Amino acid sequence: MTSTAPTFGAALGDRTVPCGPDQPLLDAFLRAGVWMPNSCNQGTCGTCKLRVVRGDVDHRDSPADTLTAAERAAGLALACQARPRSDLTLALDGPAAAAGRTAHPLRDLVGTVVELADIARDTRRLRIALPEPLAFDAGQYVELTVPGSGVRRQYSLANTADVDKVLELHVRLVPGGAATAGWIFDSLGVDDEIEVTGPFGDFVLDDAEGPMVMIGGGTGLAPLVGLARTALARDPGREIHLYHGVRGAADLYDGDAMAELAARYSGFRFVPVLSHEPDPDHRSGLPTDAFVEDVPSARGWSGWLCGPPAMVDAGVKAFKRRRMAPRLIHRENFTPAC
Amino acid sequence: MTTTENDLGWLDDITMSQLERNPYPVYERLRAEAPLAYVPVLGSYVASTAELCREIATSPDFEAVITPAGGRTFGHPAIIGVNGDVHADLRGMVEPQLQPVEVDRWVDDLVRPIARRYVEAFENDGRAELVAQYAEPVSVRSLGDLLGLTDVSSDTLRDWFARLNRSFTNAAMTADGEFANPEGFLDADRAKEEIKAAVDPLIDRWITEPADTAISHWLHDGMPPGKTRDREYIYPTIYVYLLGAMQEPGHGIASTLVGLFGEPEQFEQVVDDPALIPRAIAEGMRWTSPIWSATARITTTDVHLAGVDLPKGTPVIQSYGSANHDTGLYEAPTRFDLHRPPLPHLAFGAGRHACAGIYYANHVMRIALEELFEAIPNMERDTSAEVEFWGWGFRGPTALPVTWEV
Ligand code: HEM
Ligand code: FES
Repeated sequence: MTSTAPTFGAALGDRTVPCGPDQPLLDAFLRAGVWMPNSCNQGTCGTCKLRVVRGDVDHRDSPADTLTAAERAAGLALACQARPRSDLTLALDGPAAAAGRTAHPLRDLVGTVVELADIARDTRRLRIALPEPLAFDAGQYVELTVPGSGVRRQYSLANTADVDKVLELHVRLVPGGAATAGWIFDSLGVDDEIEVTGPFGDFVLDDAEGPMVMIGGGTGLAPLVGLARTALARDPGREIHLYHGVRGAADLYDGDAMAELAARYSGFRFVPVLSHEPDPDHRSGLPTDAFVEDVPSARGWSGWLCGPPAMVDAGVKAFKRRRMAPRLIHRENFTPAC
Repeated sequence: MTTTENDLGWLDDITMSQLERNPYPVYERLRAEAPLAYVPVLGSYVASTAELCREIATSPDFEAVITPAGGRTFGHPAIIGVNGDVHADLRGMVEPQLQPVEVDRWVDDLVRPIARRYVEAFENDGRAELVAQYAEPVSVRSLGDLLGLTDVSSDTLRDWFARLNRSFTNAAMTADGEFANPEGFLDADRAKEEIKAAVDPLIDRWITEPADTAISHWLHDGMPPGKTRDREYIYPTIYVYLLGAMQEPGHGIASTLVGLFGEPEQFEQVVDDPALIPRAIAEGMRWTSPIWSATARITTTDVHLAGVDLPKGTPVIQSYGSANHDTGLYEAPTRFDLHRPPLPHLAFGAGRHACAGIYYANHVMRIALEELFEAIPNMERDTSAEVEFWGWGFRGPTALPVTWEV
């Protein structure tokens, strides 16, 4: 294959690769180590079809049988044949792309602290009033900027989307942590201004309808509360099992709110589980093991995990062990902030 | 590299059963010592490197030819062994149903319910043998329904491809250029009688009542009104389908699974993120190419290639399964690695005779793995026995027992 001096940039996801004017897009990506589906490399199988989101391509020898006029008009191209005529932004149509939700615009807002309360051992509830509503989906997160340092930390929203003017965050103290020990558990006070950026993340409800199991470790409970309330508002009969894993009873919080929810919705069940400081009033062990004990089969269920990476990994394993479909397993992928 | 005849004396000792058990050591040596070599037991030249296979598949100095055992099995004109107008007509006959836009229209509705049905049959058993209970049935049922063979059971379709396979790859030749095991074709002859007994009545019906099945389209499409293609003309290509197109997606599904089971971390990644399935399949196709060495080309003129003189009319067997282990292209090619640098492979061949079913086959394999992982994400390979692969012409695992917690 010919290799020419790179002149254009071709972007796919978070990778941009150089692509010469006479170089097939597929060749450019593969050479840069970026995988994309391909089989025949001669324009006849259609495996390498992709979408040109921005920019212009020369379809070159793409056969009309493999890439119809209608597909060309719709912005599709064969990566193994097409050459760039400009910088390009490309997308693969597939399970990932099909998921395409409408995204809420990312905003930078300056809010005001309206509540800063100790709710459990080393745990604070932080409520921030916003000057204007922020559109988000339950389960998403925001970033706070630590004043003076530029350091940003991510915290999940415990809100439902209709409560969009006062954000609720649950924050756990990390010894020596710039945002917590150095700020939220130190100098921060009610009425202080606070820089908020968001919403981020794809930890949001899907359209599955079966029972849900949610496992939160420590303050990983926050987004699950928003998700559970939202799901119950949509379908008050929904079966939801929410496990809260903590070290000891001193780490538990929002028990009353959870009990209220359970009283109102017969399908909702809240199960605190203590890992290190057992007491007679609570389950002990790991929340993921408690789920495995309680639920013989999670076929058709969806699962939600937020907490330390080891807990999330154990949760994925536990869910699969109980035969939950992996595509219905959702996890909050950022590591809890420090 | 220069080699003398004497250096290649080891080629005389190669046997068919050695190649069928494990062709890789022989082809590794071929790639290193004689990438274009005459292999006596095959009675033919073979091309074993990626560069040579691609060159030969796309060169104007070569055209297609069917191997002797293949020709004995399929008869003439099989799409894989013809050229010029006849090939153009047969490609024009099979391609319309296999165009990507066309396949996109129905593949999910065709394959997904079939995959679900087979997985539902064993998902609560806690164990299964995935080759016989899943990979092969999903493959043959999907294509069987597409062809119009809805009343032929999946077990019969599996039986047919296995018998055609043993005949097609009964490749051993004597020094005089005769078949070494002529009786090895007889079972497939009986299979073909069964096939005709089942398919002839369907053809009779479709001649007068065209239906939306692939074989009915083959009879009618592109023909003047009131005329159909002669059934003897399309039977050899029906056999191509009943062997390769029936068998290979099943091989591909099973090989990809075995590759993933050997790399537990990658297995986990793919189960957790179904978007990785196409990439895993592409690596599975490279790692154990289902059509390992079954098609051939013949010189149309005197050719000098890779230090070898090939007079006009010399056949060369394409070893795509070997090309896909070429260390010139792939580092540690025997390792299944979904994250290896993404290079094109030759599992679907190349040139005018490249596989016509790539797009469809990739989707069948994808949907089959999606449904399997969706239903049984906690599957593990039953490690009480090693997985055994078999085949030189066509290759895949012979059985794949798995277990899971119900
Ligand atoms: C994973 C599954 C499959 C693999 C690995 C595969 C691979 C191949 C290979 C290597 C060839 C020979 C190419 C050459 O000589 O260069 C071929 C030919 C062919 N394949 Fe496939 N194939 C698969 C499935 C299918 C399916 C499902 C169909 C049809 C629905 C199909 C239809 C054909 C046809 C018609 C040819 C002959 C093309 C010609 O000679 O013009 N294949 N395939
Ligand atoms: S890889 Fe087959 S059309 Fe591009």
